[in-house]
Amino acid sequence: MGDLNSISLDCGRKPEHPEETHSDVGRTCELHVPVAEGKSVQQTVDLLHKKLEQLSAVKQGSFFVDCETYHAAGPTSGQPPKLLYVMHNSEMPLSCMAMFEGGPCLTADANFDVLMVKLKSHFQNAKGHKVESRGARYQYCDFLVKVGTITMSSSARGISVEVEYCPCVVPGDCWNLMKEFMQSFLGSNVPELPSVFTAKPEGLYAPADSTDTMTQYLELFSKVRKQQVVPGSTVR
Amino acid sequence: MEAPPVTVMPVTGGTVNMMEYLLQGSVLDQALDSLLHRLRGLCDNMEPESFADHEMVYLLKGQQGNPFLLRARRSLAHLATPWHLRYLGQPEVGDKSRHALVRNCVDVATSHSLPEFLNEMSFRMDHEFVAKGHIFRKGSLKVVVSKLFRVLVQGNTENTEPLSLSSLVELSVLAPAGQDTVSEDMRAFAEQLKPLVHLEKIDPKRHM
Repeated sequence: MGDLNSISLDCGRKPEHPEETHSDVGRTCELHVPVAEGKSVQQTVDLLHKKLEQLSAVKQGSFFVDCETYHAAGPTSGQPPKLLYVMHNSEMPLSCMAMFEGGPCLTADANFDVLMVKLKSHFQNAKGHKVESRGARYQYCDFLVKVGTITMSSSARGISVEVEYCPCVVPGDCWNLMKEFMQSFLGSNVPELPSVFTAKPEGLYAPADSTDTMTQYLELFSKVRKQQVVPGSTVR
Repeated sequence: MEAPPVTVMPVTGGTVNMMEYLLQGSVLDQALDSLLHRLRGLCDNMEPESFADHEMVYLLKGQQGNPFLLRARRSLAHLATPWHLRYLGQPEVGDKSRHALVRNCVDVATSHSLPEFLNEMSFRMDHEFVAKGHIFRKGSLKVVVSKLFRVLVQGNTENTEPLSLSSLVELSVLAPAGQDTVSEDMRAFAEQLKPLVHLEKIDPKRHM
């Protein structure tokens, strides 16, 4: 698994050390995770669980986030086909979120998935590109931590760590606190403030529609997808 | 909140294969009050709900075949409520034993970024209108009486004029595919509105 274990989310730095890193996301927060050298994804996840439990974080069930990719069919006048992503998050089980990379995003109810089936002659589902992260959800005081194994085509590709500091919606104001908390179990692998927050003029996290969280997962998943570039492979 | 176990999560969410059973008719403005009065008596005992909606019809043209049509609706009276995105399939009108038009129907509630998002998906707005009226219910039957207004300047819902001197009356039921018995109930209900309004199974293709 070596360097596949790692992922980094765009938290403002490049993954110079592919073996460590990770993802992030959060309501007001972000996160990240290091993968220990020589360990598998599962071993690293176990290690993180252990560290969280040592902090006396309480395990509260599981979570998942998934992302389907759709290709726009039809003439695109020389440009690469547009990619539409449809994501789900167990934190919002009745919703789904549709996004274009860097473009508008739409929060909808679960019937949007049915609509995409109707639209199949215009938007084709790239089944092999489905990425998901599943794992355990921990609560530690006001923090929610979700450690997930990222899989694509049923192979483990890395680890995501989402840290959310629930009482605050201004990421800049609680970033130092989050950073300190993350250091307690991630050590030196703590990311920078995610770009999704630095780019916003008002700097507010939008918990109502979770767009900020899902944007970060999308960035992370895009990196995971790019790790596996097989020349000549076709997408269906 | 615990997520459901992996094995029971459907591949896609939502309600698959809902059908809309529909009867349509119209009533002249002069007779509107009598119809509303009759509906108040026939329908469930609730305050009739009135609405003012702005509907935009979007088309996505592919290389072949018919364009894909979606309807985006928003409430002008409650601006904070979600937008309503609706897909309607090809109507089935041929079956004489069925008393209503039947078509596949997908209703999606969405955030307010819908127009921008549809544009990014390459949909283009074809036409728009404003509908104002009242909704009544009787069990699963829904009766919508609405007056349609032409939008004179694109996007400006303040500047409209009535499309005709009558109101559209629609009786509909949403049900899973195959429940044709609902069309019997609809016919029985429609009988009670005669002669104020004649609700019929109208083939939209005949009017194009």
